[in-house]
Amino acid sequence: MAKSAADWAARPKFPATHYVDSRIYTDQAIFEEEREKLFRPSWIIACHESEIPNPFDYRLFTHPAGVPLIVVRGDDSKVRTFYNICPHRGNTILYDPAGNAKRMTCIFHQWSFDTRGACVDITRAEQGYQDRYGKQDASLREVRTEVAFGGFVWVNIDDAAPGLQEFIGGALDILEPYMQEPMELFHFHRARVRTNFKLWHDTNSEFYHDYLHYFNRITGMMQPGYFERRYTAFPRGHATVGSMQIQYDKYEGSVERAVGWPGLARGGWYMVDVFPGMTYNLRTSVMRIDTSIPLGPNEVLIEFRGLGLKRDTPEERAQRVFDHNMIWGPFGRNLHEDLLGVHGQGRAMREGTDSRWVLQGREENSTIHDEVGMRHYYAEWSRCMGRPAYDPYLEGKPVRAAA
Amino acid sequence: MATLEQRRAVEELVYRSCLALDAKDWNAFLALCDPAFRYTIAAYSPEVRKDMVWLDHDKAGMTTLFNNLPKHNSDHAPLTRHVTVYTVDVKDGGGEAEAISALQVFKTALDGGATELFAVGRFHDTVRLDGGSGTLVKRTVRLDTRQLGFGYHVPF
Repeated sequence: MAKSAADWAARPKFPATHYVDSRIYTDQAIFEEEREKLFRPSWIIACHESEIPNPFDYRLFTHPAGVPLIVVRGDDSKVRTFYNICPHRGNTILYDPAGNAKRMTCIFHQWSFDTRGACVDITRAEQGYQDRYGKQDASLREVRTEVAFGGFVWVNIDDAAPGLQEFIGGALDILEPYMQEPMELFHFHRARVRTNFKLWHDTNSEFYHDYLHYFNRITGMMQPGYFERRYTAFPRGHATVGSMQIQYDKYEGSVERAVGWPGLARGGWYMVDVFPGMTYNLRTSVMRIDTSIPLGPNEVLIEFRGLGLKRDTPEERAQRVFDHNMIWGPFGRNLHEDLLGVHGQGRAMREGTDSRWVLQGREENSTIHDEVGMRHYYAEWSRCMGRPAYDPYLEGKPVRAAA
Repeated sequence: MATLEQRRAVEELVYRSCLALDAKDWNAFLALCDPAFRYTIAAYSPEVRKDMVWLDHDKAGMTTLFNNLPKHNSDHAPLTRHVTVYTVDVKDGGGEAEAISALQVFKTALDGGATELFAVGRFHDTVRLDGGSGTLVKRTVRLDTRQLGFGYHVPF
């Protein structure tokens, strides 16, 4: 029997930890709060070190909290990050998304900065400021930066936030054996989707949606070991997924991946979801990294990176690129399906649709179709936000009475 | 310099390939391709300052890709390819031509029929000429658009 309005509005018959109120995906005020409480104090992956291999190489990145950043390798090869905001009149300093700049000069009035953040030139400084203001007063705002966990450039715009090691804890330990060799980026693209950023992270945090993917059903779900994959939850909302042997040759046109990854068992696949919106995804021969940059409660920009090993021969690299493209490229078999899935969620949960609840009630002893990964995420979300995801407005009862 | 007949053969091939793909008539598209056909989608990323390959298949690989499409979930909004053949350069004594075409891909929503520009780029085609007709030996789609949204994975 279909549900009445009252049935639809009633809280699900699960413990409160096993569902969330779907308004957390649409509310503008909650979104603004998330930027401050989730993203501002978190360490975020801005890029990979291989994107800025040489001194003076830079890369622009818009922090999920909204701050425009310049990641730059200095004359001393150290990677630093600064606001891409001129301290003079608040203009953008660098426009091109990447490049090499010994001096970073604002085109507006030609104030110039070095790669350590010091102002090195103020045009007609003495005439205008006499001795009231000088280069020493006009440094760039530096942001905490660490290159770690596979050579990724992590940034934190909150000077008072805990360090990166404390933030990650042991969540990436499962991948450490496979990140001993330098990696190199070969793929980058973005997708802009009208959906909430958490829904993308949810998709990366549960495998029950493998029913969406023919490729994953054939090469994974129908193969031995799939249902033994287990989730492990870590403090601060991070979670990992154990490995199995993917049978790539079960999909027509695909073959067992020959290149592999140092130390990783044949056909292996590990994932680590990092709160509040990043994912490490090492699948047999390719490392993929997702970074979500929320643009609004119902819009997210997702950055996708694909990496191989720096020491790859041209043939090995070509094989990794092929493997990547087969499922994860913009024309691959899986990625567009995931994007379609979260697009559909965004469409159904927009303001006014009367979407009410999102269930996370599957319990399968923390194995692959258990929704513990999402539950763990929303426990941390609730802690950081000071409001439970299942009752974000602290109403404690059905929020919409039956008509 | 291509003769008018050679140019017309190349244009006819390029336009027919688009009509076949627009109609999702994969067999008709493959029938226009040489046994040695190679299809590649590539893009340059100013963000990471690298050339990227996003799809690379021979004819057998393309055939498999097309055959597998119904097993996958996709946005069913139709694509319309608008192509203008810019240049045709004949080589190999008139047996082969290289053509560069401008490509725009439009997506039309099934619900309501709103059309949006989906992607722009260029075809770089190698065509085998035989009398008044041609077959595709190689197509490299060089995309300027790198943000393709959700739900579509059919080659351009």
